[in-house]
Amino acid sequence: MSHPAHYREAHPLIFVFTHWINLISMVALAFSGFYIHYPFFANFMGVARGMHFFFMYVILINLFVRIVAAFFVKSATRLGTREVETDIKNWLPQKLNRHQLGAWLKYYLFLKKDHPIGAKYGVLQKIAYIVTIPLTLAAAYTGFAIYAPFMDAAFFAAGTDWVGGQMNMRIIHYYIMWVFILFTAVHAYLANVEGVAPSRLIFAWKEEEGLRFDADGKVIGGSGH
Amino acid sequence: MAHEDHGAIYDLLAARGVSRRDFLKYCGSIAALLGLSESFVPQIAAAVNHGAKLKPAVWLNGGACTGCTESIAQVDTPDVATIVLDLLSIDFMETLSMAMGEDALAAAEAVFEEPGYILIYEGSVMQGFDGNALRIGGKTGLEELDHAAPNAAAIVAVGSCAVDGGFVMANPNPADATGVKPYLESKGITTPVVNLPTCPVNPEWLVAIVVDVLLLGSLESGAILDKLDDWGRPKYIFGQTIHDNCPRRGHFENGNFVNEFGTEEEALGYCLYKVGCKGPQTYTNCPIVRWNRRTSWCVESGAPCIGCGNLNWVDVGAPFLNRHRDLPLPSVGNTQPGVVAGVVAGAAALGLGLHAVGMKVTGRMDGGAPYEEMKAHDKKRMQKGGGK
Repeated sequence: MSHPAHYREAHPLIFVFTHWINLISMVALAFSGFYIHYPFFANFMGVARGMHFFFMYVILINLFVRIVAAFFVKSATRLGTREVETDIKNWLPQKLNRHQLGAWLKYYLFLKKDHPIGAKYGVLQKIAYIVTIPLTLAAAYTGFAIYAPFMDAAFFAAGTDWVGGQMNMRIIHYYIMWVFILFTAVHAYLANVEGVAPSRLIFAWKEEEGLRFDADGKVIGGSGH
Repeated sequence: MAHEDHGAIYDLLAARGVSRRDFLKYCGSIAALLGLSESFVPQIAAAVNHGAKLKPAVWLNGGACTGCTESIAQVDTPDVATIVLDLLSIDFMETLSMAMGEDALAAAEAVFEEPGYILIYEGSVMQGFDGNALRIGGKTGLEELDHAAPNAAAIVAVGSCAVDGGFVMANPNPADATGVKPYLESKGITTPVVNLPTCPVNPEWLVAIVVDVLLLGSLESGAILDKLDDWGRPKYIFGQTIHDNCPRRGHFENGNFVNEFGTEEEALGYCLYKVGCKGPQTYTNCPIVRWNRRTSWCVESGAPCIGCGNLNWVDVGAPFLNRHRDLPLPSVGNTQPGVVAGVVAGAAALGLGLHAVGMKVTGRMDGGAPYEEMKAHDKKRMQKGGGK
């Protein structure tokens, strides 16, 4: 019907890597985290803890690299174009996003028939992606606060006192993981429900032709299958 | 040197059948508990030996079960610990005083008039019912504490109840129980408080505090205050988790767990983590000092730690055989966090499934709906602006 073109400019190679690292780290962290919460089979605790403590640093370094790269790497400014600009522009409010929050909500709730015009990311999409940054940091903070080598440091101990002890801190850490699981489920669903081109691009860096858009979000050519 | 000094203490020891060797060994263990080197052993021995003229002490019972009194008093044969504790001249103790009624209260009153005594407080401070949840000798418990606290050189709050209200302050806490330190802070009374949580208190810790505060003079020098954490607990007792010193820690690292009681895993002494052990989040040195005259302690005897040394320990620890506490959800009641997460995740999965059906029905699955010509917002404005 009307699938936008998916060009490599949308996801430069470095972001293909950071996305892979995020995915692998999150799966490893969620699995080992569940195991540490409740060891559902025997003889794996040492490995599970090792995995958890390794990938927590990997994901934090990866987040740092991703944020720094946003200021140096150019990526496509909108859907279906090869025009690029510094990637960070895609994370700030853009002209094409203005006044579109309601339109996106209506579209997702089947109250609007046609697809809202968006920048590279739609309004809700952009907000959801940005929220993963504080969410990752919150997971890191609550995780360090229950991790023996760090939990007595004043910076973490003060937070633990504030939430009412380590049991509460553990439950918050546990729920943050569930928020990530929900985010991932919705993210994977919305990214692929209208076609798997986004996955082919972000995972395999494979392009797919489709609709092309001008700077005002108007379709200027290409076919949407 | 203490070894050659046949002071009163050695007669006392001999009378109770404790050899000098046992005594010095015990002093060595106190030195270790206080984080002092072996060279302090003679000093501790000498301090105990010469400590006959001690400050008087008063033991008050607040709102609690008197388990801490039991813990300290229940000794079938006298040992060195009881001799050290005997050095405390406890002039008033509601449960164990020989004197009764007016005579006993007069003894307490006599102590309160001379500033500088040690106040040992057991049990919670019950603020509810205008303080009438606890009445002693015609006064409320609050009046008694208000009266006793300001002139004390220091207050030793024994047991979790005296620290923060303990099990008495667990939900719904009708007596509005709290600990001695928070209560005195709310009243502006600045007497230093040494907090010794756990339910009940371990007598070894009281011995350590008696030696440290009274005999080694760490109260006069102020050194004791540097040894306390933010909650007034001596760091040398409450500075490390049970988990980090647990004899079953190897089984934890290897992933050998007791899945339920009465199994082979339990007989093998595997880790009690899955049956709710709160050792990883409980800061006491139980695994090192142990209980009942160093015989054993909870985890060693096969029971998971229930975290009685934690603040608000019942609410953050119950149900004791679960990994997580319960969440008191309004109109639902106590619920495990995992159940809440499962319900939310199930609802989300259902929502996405329904949405996918909607996407299929509206034909959006193959590339989505056609794109709008212009933003709906802009379209509306143009129509309003004269239908350009």
